[in-house]
Amino acid sequence: MASLKSEDDQARFASVVLPHLADAYALARWLTGDRADAEDVVQEACLRAFRGIGGFAGVNARAWVLTIVRHAAYTWLGKNRSASLVMVDDLEAVEQKQSSAGAAFEQTPEAELIAKADARRLEAAIAELPVPFRETLVLRDVQGLDYREISEVTKVPIGTVMSRLARARRRLIERIGADKPGGAP
Amino acid sequence: MTPTDPRLLVHAYVDGELDPAHALEVERQLADDPALAVERERVEALRHVIAEQLPREGAPPGLARRIEAAVGLRPAPAPARASSRPSWRALAASVAVAAFLGSGATWLALSPGPPDADMVVANHVRALMATQPVDVGSSDQHTVKPWFNGRIPEAPRVVELASAGFPLVGGRIDVTGRTPVATLVYRVRQHLISLSEVPAGRTIATSHGQIGGYNIVSWTDNGVAYWAVSDVAAADLDTFAKAFRAAEPER
Repeated sequence: MASLKSEDDQARFASVVLPHLADAYALARWLTGDRADAEDVVQEACLRAFRGIGGFAGVNARAWVLTIVRHAAYTWLGKNRSASLVMVDDLEAVEQKQSSAGAAFEQTPEAELIAKADARRLEAAIAELPVPFRETLVLRDVQGLDYREISEVTKVPIGTVMSRLARARRRLIERIGADKPGGAP
Repeated sequence: MTPTDPRLLVHAYVDGELDPAHALEVERQLADDPALAVERERVEALRHVIAEQLPREGAPPGLARRIEAAVGLRPAPAPARASSRPSWRALAASVAVAAFLGSGATWLALSPGPPDADMVVANHVRALMATQPVDVGSSDQHTVKPWFNGRIPEAPRVVELASAGFPLVGGRIDVTGRTPVATLVYRVRQHLISLSEVPAGRTIATSHGQIGGYNIVSWTDNGVAYWAVSDVAAADLDTFAKAFRAAEPER
């Protein structure tokens, strides 16, 4: 397969894809929840990226690579963890109902308690988030993408990025509060 | 929730994603609504604790090697599994060389940006792939600044920005064109920022750009052109640039 590709494609792949391998692996690990599975997903994504390197428009390599990784991860999840891919529309309808029912944020933990959360507890809480919320939170708060880039990677409007991020963070905040005995009144 | 729900907007506010008009509106609401102000504190605490507790890890070394082999960038992987550790450095060097050569061929042809921007991005990528992103590693400006003495004609401006959330990692010499330039490295969360200082003949306006997924901010102060490059969000890099320009000169 490689021999069909020109050296230009290889050089392009090296400059466009390889610098973002750590980001690619991190996203795949957060989506699959497993290191070995993440390696498989990244390898598959890189092959797709190599085949499609001519289609890269030359603007944002990291967002382009992460888009492909996310797609490969979703394919993997569909095959191996189909239960985790709930319909996003249903999810957001439920969330909306809950929030309009008036879950006021007055009852949730203080910033000092949140600041003391340890890595294990945070990882567990993030892993429990539904995939669309989890990927939005990870892309922003772990990987440092801005809203426009997240919108590009996850293929949703910026307003949806904003509401998913807000809900993901709210769930984490509530979860951290609930972990601590006496954290909730 | 409607798009203008303040409980939503406070997240975008904390992330630096609001335009000035909306940011002002949120600031007004924060002042009027103590519950909203507390929510903002929680969101900031959460962001901070995630950055602190969940550092970004690199990809496993074997992964890069397998991928390079799969696309023909290197011969098929060595069969001896035991040798995987020592060869990682050689691999890192080869990736860096490949990326550096590749960058010359592609970025210069594709990017609309000025050649300086391409070169500072190339230097930054090269540094990320090297064993160390710095030649002198220290968070002390009084160690970093003197290191440049005798290596380049003019010592760079070095400031400490740890209190603004940008601890100093160290410095290195980069080459743009044929000129050696001083580059400082700062950290923000788990990301690195390269700041190159190039003596400039003329003043250029502050400008923002993006090449290959890296954000770039450049400006001129006192005859020196500064180029900041990083993969952090543009808003974060902008905050860094403002903090650097506003910082007291070293004593």
